[in-house]
Amino acid sequence: MLNLPRWQTIAILAITLLSGVFALPNILPASVLDHLPHWYQQSRINLGLDLRGGAHFLLEADLRSVLGERLTNLSDSVRAELRKQQVPFKDVTVEGGRAVVVTLRDEAQRAKAMEAIRTIDPSLAVSGQGDTLRLAYSDQDLFRRKKEVIDQSIEILRRRVDETGTIEPTIVRQGDERILLQVPGIKDTTDLKRKINQTAKLTFHLVNEDVAAAGGNGPVPPTTYMVPTREGMQDLRRTNPKAWDEIQAANPRLSPETICRRFQPQCLPVLKRVVVGGEDLDDAKATFEQQQGGRPIISFTFNAAGGRAFCAATRANVGKRLAIQLDNEIISAPVVQSPICGGSGIITGTFTTQQTQEQALLLRSGALPATLSIIEERTVGADLGADAIRSGTVAALVGTVLVAVFMFVAYGPIFGGFANLAMLVNLLMVFAGMSILGASLTLPGIAGLVLTVGMAVDSNVLIYERVREEKALGRSAFNSLATGYERAMSAIVDANLTTLIAGVLLFGFGSGPIRGFATTLSLGLLTSMFSSTIFTRMLLAIWVRWRRPTELVI
Amino acid sequence: MLWKPVRLFAFKRKFDFLGQRKAALILSTLINIVSLAAVFTIGLNFGIDFKGGIAMQVRAKQGNANLEELRSVVGGLGVGEVSLQEFGDPTTALIRIQRQNGGASCVAGAQKVMLNRAGAGWQVKPGAAGTGDVEFTSPGALDAVTWRDAISRVGLTVQERQLPRGTVNTAKIDMSVEQQAEWCQQVAIKEVEDAIGAKYEMRGTESVGPKIGEELMTSGILAVLATMAAIAVYVWFRFEWQFAVGALIAMLHDVISTIGVFVLLQLDFSLTALAAVLTIAGYSINDTVVIFDRVRENMRRYKKLGLIDLLNLSINETLSRTLMTSGTVFVAVAALVLFGGPVLYSFSVAMLWGVIVGTYSSIWVACAGLVYLNLRAEQLRPPEETADADKAGKAGA
Repeated sequence: MLNLPRWQTIAILAITLLSGVFALPNILPASVLDHLPHWYQQSRINLGLDLRGGAHFLLEADLRSVLGERLTNLSDSVRAELRKQQVPFKDVTVEGGRAVVVTLRDEAQRAKAMEAIRTIDPSLAVSGQGDTLRLAYSDQDLFRRKKEVIDQSIEILRRRVDETGTIEPTIVRQGDERILLQVPGIKDTTDLKRKINQTAKLTFHLVNEDVAAAGGNGPVPPTTYMVPTREGMQDLRRTNPKAWDEIQAANPRLSPETICRRFQPQCLPVLKRVVVGGEDLDDAKATFEQQQGGRPIISFTFNAAGGRAFCAATRANVGKRLAIQLDNEIISAPVVQSPICGGSGIITGTFTTQQTQEQALLLRSGALPATLSIIEERTVGADLGADAIRSGTVAALVGTVLVAVFMFVAYGPIFGGFANLAMLVNLLMVFAGMSILGASLTLPGIAGLVLTVGMAVDSNVLIYERVREEKALGRSAFNSLATGYERAMSAIVDANLTTLIAGVLLFGFGSGPIRGFATTLSLGLLTSMFSSTIFTRMLLAIWVRWRRPTELVI
Repeated sequence: MLWKPVRLFAFKRKFDFLGQRKAALILSTLINIVSLAAVFTIGLNFGIDFKGGIAMQVRAKQGNANLEELRSVVGGLGVGEVSLQEFGDPTTALIRIQRQNGGASCVAGAQKVMLNRAGAGWQVKPGAAGTGDVEFTSPGALDAVTWRDAISRVGLTVQERQLPRGTVNTAKIDMSVEQQAEWCQQVAIKEVEDAIGAKYEMRGTESVGPKIGEELMTSGILAVLATMAAIAVYVWFRFEWQFAVGALIAMLHDVISTIGVFVLLQLDFSLTALAAVLTIAGYSINDTVVIFDRVRENMRRYKKLGLIDLLNLSINETLSRTLMTSGTVFVAVAALVLFGGPVLYSFSVAMLWGVIVGTYSSIWVACAGLVYLNLRAEQLRPPEETADADKAGKAGA
């Protein structure tokens, strides 16, 4: 038991050392860290919002009304299509927010009605008998639509909240209809909430082909202005990150013309007059062409007003480019092939599927697809966070010192010292583990650490008490140590695993700060099984070989 | 040797712990009855995590927080029940406001906020009865973009289609009653900010809407039940069923009495408090399992010994460990109580109780339970080596 093979000693030391290496970036100054590889810099513990200050919002998208609205639109299309195909019907109604019910005048017309419905949307599930047809979107379709709405909302939020690119917000989907938005280190949440509201501005403009033909060097008439293209801006970001940072940091924001003049990214001259605005765009999605080998394309639909304006503009400008501007960037400028009337059209080109999806998402990000309610809000001011760090650190230090003193007094300088060393190694390993996992340290997380400190020495207490018992039975020093370790093991494993069960379930249930508590507690219990047993055993083995004690002072 | 170890918890005398089991049974039952009675009569002081509502930490820009003034100002806003307390130090106050349910007072509040934040001439009126609709009237005609900006001042984030078309001076925003209730949380926060913002600085705001509160409550109860079940199953696998039952009763005892402490001290029962309850369940079992482990060992060793003597022996043998570990955890938690700050206070106090009651219950509830469950040595599974050998034998045959 106490005769460790050399390789084990080396392995234990290596693990301990490695923990130190992974925990190190947390205390290295930024100037040193900058010279180290990127993956190593990343090995740091994030401070949770409660320590760092920041805002946490849980937003719920009102998907019910989005889907309801979709059914209303469907019922309108069905009515129009049935009239067009001359299928007489009594009624078309939306039923309970789930389906559209069509009642025909004549049962015999059912096949024809089905035909008409299929032209609207072939994926609709049609049920019902006789003169009634019940149309519903398939579960798959509903799921896709919900996902689209949430993705689109996330994209909009990201564009808005992160417009300066400096605050690293976390914006993720949570469950079916929720979005978690976390923004560290902001002071003014009113401003943030307003930003959430200000969705991106999407507009369609005609390209001034005369200016464009001159290569952008000629005079720019007052009706026209230069706007950077999205690709141009991305090139700029790659080739001239300084300029990019300057643009992002500028307050008030630089106008597109200024950006074009000062930084010379790829720009397009567009007419200032807005052909149609994003609020009139109903939908845009990535799909595939029906013929010609099914190239990926983007299809879009306008509402009635938008459709009319678009029809007039495209009819007068066939062969010219129509620029689609999102905020201060042109996301694309397709050539008008033919007049686009009837409210919907497509954008073709040599796109990959990924590109069409991205473009469709950008097109949709002009309008918030669903009403978002803030159902949970937690904001912590930076100085409140600083207070929390201070009190957490003091509590952790005092707790650790008290426990260390306790162990020193109870088990003497050698055994107490080993246990306390193990406790420090345990803390080191928790920090390393959290750094590797990129876990967040929260205030309850610090409480978890303090608790772990108290509970991690338990394994040593179990061992030492057992050693005392074995010694009292008259065993030799070496023998009582070895048996003590052996016999205490089953209690150590049981005791730690049962608490670990609570920790893991808490992690599964909790969110935010509580999860931080579960993380430190569970990690601490796991690593304590290494530090309090395997690590101290190694220390004792070395000590026994060195001092060859005949009597244990424990 | 620099100094000699001090036997902190070495007792010459062996205690007859289980001789007191009747007294302990009465005490434990009493504690639990009082706790349950307190829960049902006084009730848990649920924090906003479970009840929904708003908690704002504010600090006076000058001098100390004037709780009386705050109470009358915030209480007069018509946002429902308001409670105030000093938080951490005298300059800081915690304002708690009940969960908002929407309705006329909220709409009136929204109008006040609009007047304060968007300018004079704004009107906010409730829409059709039975819905949560709200109608905004602006002093001048506005276009969609300006509308969006304007209503964002009262925390409304609406779908693009809901914004008015063209340039008009009324906008009707459709909402369900539930949506309105969630929105009213935002309205209430803004009302308070407007009312006390001149004298107080907002340090932190928490708002939990009605929906989330209910969800957290359900999942919290589930988490406690699941934890206890999982631990009991683990003990059952590792020991005999009597041990699992004993451990489960001890855990229930600790969880119920901890909740009782929350009620009697009127501590805020929040998510962190729930974390404390779960940790106490884990800690209580930790202590119990160590004693059980020794009980099992001794049962195999001293086959002739009566159960009560055997349990007493095991408890006495592990007693110094029990007290040492409880001691280290106790000092660690005491550090949290004293220095952990106001946010962790409820959690730490509960944990402190948990350490004490967990130690008590492993002896007088879990082990006494084994006596009442009539555990006998021959019911014990053979040690694992033999069990494996048995299996191997059966597989061979």
